[in-house]
Amino acid sequence: MTRQSPLSVRGRAALVIARDERELSTIRRQLDRLGVRMNAWDATADGDIAEQAADIALLDADLFPIEQTPKLPLDPAIPIVALIGTETPSRLKWLLDLKPASFLIKPIRSAGLYSALVMAFGVASQRADAAARIQQLETRVRSRRLVITAVLSLMENRKLSEPAAFALIRRTAMQRRTTIEELSAEIVASGGQVPLAMRPS
Amino acid sequence: MSRVRIPIGFVFSQSGPYQMMSGEMLKSARMAVDEVNADPAFDFEFVPHLRDPAGVVAAYHTACEDLIRDVGVDHIIGCYTSASRKQVLPIIERTDRLLWHPARYEGFECSDNVIYVGAAPNHTVVPLVRYMLDHLADEAFCVGSNYVWTWETNRVTRELVGGAGGRILAERLLELGERNVAHIIEEIIARRPPVVLNTLVGESSYVFMRALHDATIRAGVTTSVLSCSLCEPELKLIGGRAAAGCITSSAYFESIDLSENKAFVSRWKARYGADSSPSVDGQSTYVCVMLLAHAIRRAGSTETGEVRRAAGNHLYLSPQGPVWVDPDNNHCFLTPRLARSTASGQYDIFWAADAPQKPDPYLSALDATPPSRLRDIGAPSIDPHWQRRLH
Repeated sequence: MTRQSPLSVRGRAALVIARDERELSTIRRQLDRLGVRMNAWDATADGDIAEQAADIALLDADLFPIEQTPKLPLDPAIPIVALIGTETPSRLKWLLDLKPASFLIKPIRSAGLYSALVMAFGVASQRADAAARIQQLETRVRSRRLVITAVLSLMENRKLSEPAAFALIRRTAMQRRTTIEELSAEIVASGGQVPLAMRPS
Repeated sequence: MSRVRIPIGFVFSQSGPYQMMSGEMLKSARMAVDEVNADPAFDFEFVPHLRDPAGVVAAYHTACEDLIRDVGVDHIIGCYTSASRKQVLPIIERTDRLLWHPARYEGFECSDNVIYVGAAPNHTVVPLVRYMLDHLADEAFCVGSNYVWTWETNRVTRELVGGAGGRILAERLLELGERNVAHIIEEIIARRPPVVLNTLVGESSYVFMRALHDATIRAGVTTSVLSCSLCEPELKLIGGRAAAGCITSSAYFESIDLSENKAFVSRWKARYGADSSPSVDGQSTYVCVMLLAHAIRRAGSTETGEVRRAAGNHLYLSPQGPVWVDPDNNHCFLTPRLARSTASGQYDIFWAADAPQKPDPYLSALDATPPSRLRDIGAPSIDPHWQRRLH
């Protein structure tokens, strides 16, 4: 899958969560110029509203009381651009819980919106990369005992040194295009009866 | 009855690295003001107040502050580089005045307090690169001055060339004002690129054009030089054959065959000498003053909001043809043109868009991927009346 460059904002959809007509009209004009489609939500609906399809959300941070984190009709992976009016620590602490990907200081001007969108798309993509990497590392950590068990079983069954046993597992995993962890699980499950790679001649 | 006297600000550097260009802009501004003041169709006259920031970026803020607070102008015409415009934007916006900006620039800005009269990137670099891809080559060697105009022009070029399956052979940058170009000339002669895209400005560009001309003749190398900024007064500074053959993209050339332009050029020559030529930025400065005068007349006021509304969509028959402000983004509808420079310091125009093109400062309508013929570029069609007029 090729991911869209954060610099290219045309054709994306923005959900603008705000009420101030002046701010909304400035944002609408500038999004138009950028080729970004805009939906507005005034955050007044009671109860649950359907999740909105959007690539990015612009959220007026002064719209909500600070005692609770608002329930937004958005996929949590959608980056949020915070529109900040009040710069008090209580408001900013509330805002941090929403994990904004970038921000703009109100009143909104035409200058700044493009940068805020690009930052937000960039941060969202970096966050996705980091989350995938963390997941990969967590899997590895969880499988560490399996790998050790597999190495020990090869050392015993085939009379190998520890480095040689590990090298054999790694080589086999590469040949089979699988991970060391998955192969180790197979070795352990089969009691060491897995066909392994030949030594390089 | 005496006419109302309206003070307006001019901010043009009369020394420093781009003195030549802003000198040309001031000449055009003065000529336009004299024409407005002599024209009974206007029931006011302009009183220009010139400030000279001498090419020092920080001095632009002081110049505008002084014009707004002390002289009390509502409208300022000037700035040449983007750095100088960014410098004055805060005070212009805070005091809600209008800056009329004559120079083409790289886009990606859209202030409600600026009327952008110069070309947007879809008017300049896009048609130039499309032409290159259609008719010359899909490989280019980029050489430019190390600042925002070059960086952004090269980025757009890379995107278009890459989208067509071509490539950028090299990107070489020189500091503003740098005159040592020998290493770049050497590299060009060694690599023989089919196209050299020149985004150098000022003296660096003149030195480069002369050196490239000499070196290509000596080495028997042919290459096409492309520019989206060179203009007639600069061709004269480069001099002779070295200035010839440069394929240039611009909304204005002295050789535009329109009655408004012929009259403009002859008034210009009568005022500044038969050997002199109006430049693209000069002509654009003239258009700034005229658009301002027309908008004030229609608004019956110099107030920013009213003048901006009056300027939007109001068609003015300028030397470069019909021009109007797009109220969507405060930039101007202009007609892109391509021309080849001659040894006599003029341009042979070989392509013009069918109609003035909608400005696209964020290039949000640009599609780099499909190979597109030059005639397909651009924007919504307009009244066929203007299409006829342009042909």
